[in-house]
Amino acid sequence: MISLSSVTKKFNKKIAVDAVSFKAREGEIIGFLGPNGAGKTTTMRLILGYLLPTEGNISVNNLDPFENRIEVLKHIGYLPENNPLYQEMKVEEYLEFIAKIKNANDHEGIISQVGLEEALSKKIEELSRGFKQRVGLAASLIGDPDILVLDEPTSGLDPLEQDKIKHLIKSLARKKTVIFSTHILSEVEDVATKLIIINMGKIVYDDVNPKGKGTVEKLFRKLIKE
Amino acid sequence: MLVLYKKELRYYLNNPIGYIVVALFAVFANFLYVKDIFVVGSASLRSFFSLLPWIFLIFIPALTMRIISEERRTNTIETLLTLPVSESHIVFSKFLALCTLTGIGLILTLGLPVSLFFLSKLYVLEIIAGYFGSLLLGATFIGVTMFFSSQTKNQVVAFLASIITLFILLVLGTDFMATVFPKALLDFLNYFTPQYHLANFVKGVIDIRSVFYFLTLLTISLFLTIISLERRD
Repeated sequence: MISLSSVTKKFNKKIAVDAVSFKAREGEIIGFLGPNGAGKTTTMRLILGYLLPTEGNISVNNLDPFENRIEVLKHIGYLPENNPLYQEMKVEEYLEFIAKIKNANDHEGIISQVGLEEALSKKIEELSRGFKQRVGLAASLIGDPDILVLDEPTSGLDPLEQDKIKHLIKSLARKKTVIFSTHILSEVEDVATKLIIINMGKIVYDDVNPKGKGTVEKLFRKLIKE
Repeated sequence: MLVLYKKELRYYLNNPIGYIVVALFAVFANFLYVKDIFVVGSASLRSFFSLLPWIFLIFIPALTMRIISEERRTNTIETLLTLPVSESHIVFSKFLALCTLTGIGLILTLGLPVSLFFLSKLYVLEIIAGYFGSLLLGATFIGVTMFFSSQTKNQVVAFLASIITLFILLVLGTDFMATVFPKALLDFLNYFTPQYHLANFVKGVIDIRSVFYFLTLLTISLFLTIISLERRD
């Protein structure tokens, strides 16, 4: 479980995240929405212990992620924004590298789960954006983490690829906590069980996903205008 | 840590840059020795070891400059730091991979003592101590360059900052400084130069003070590099 309590993050004097509080429980798929620069990526980095909060408390499986970074990261699979990968490595080599660091050996199953079989012997730099995204996603799934933090997992993908990733997220979520950010509001509608909307560093919505075509977009537009 | 070490080493072994830098180093070092035999008429490793800090001044920053700055530029540093691996493991793995390459470069100069064996008398212990000192010198230069590489996304900035810093250290031990500083100050400053300490090893003496000098510089550099990775704001 993830819990944030009055978490603020400042970069010099600029407030990126302002007194944010929310909880994410097992089995929840949280759609994390907000305009550019709203604080989504910063919040995700705080959960991972990659950044230290200026104020407030964060706990991941009852541990402080900054104080216990290594232990917490054993339970989190993370797909960073823009999916930075070692371009010079082959797909197989990269996934083996991640598996060894995570002390896991389940990468072969994940390769078929995300459909990377045909790309295994290729260098990452030779792959299309969609395949690169799959590599990043596969890397985040290695080690069967309890928590998945996916920053814009469908960014730059065509609609078919987006659908595949959406289905994958849905299938994974039964025993996991998934937090994913996106700009594509329709994507959240049928995947997320809960929505968190952040604007200018503040949470403006934290509740169940109001199912129904176009409802998320209406809600988002209303809250962001306010 | 072994996984990260192998990944770093593989990068250089699968990439022309590693081979080019190590091979150029070996060619350059061997050339300077051979030149001494024909031009000066001296077959000694002392001139090779005395020039080594200046050769390292170029080659080690060239090899090391990308080690963290490239991770910052491509943001793979975020990938790495959000895996269950500590900053110190990342830094030590990268450091050991670069030491291995430097070691390979030094191994490629072993033809020099072998040829010396045929040309004049060979003092094996002196040569072992010389190579040990050279490895310590190389490791220290790697540490300093790693620190600058951790400070920037730009490899060229890391390269230039390292060269300038190492050059200042080296230039303090040159004869030119004798014309600038009074002798008392020069003797004091000389203690901080790598050549002064390498000279002990070249004479065949493993002086604990010199080992301490290199290890201190190295520890400070690596410590600052780890701190730099820990500060992510």
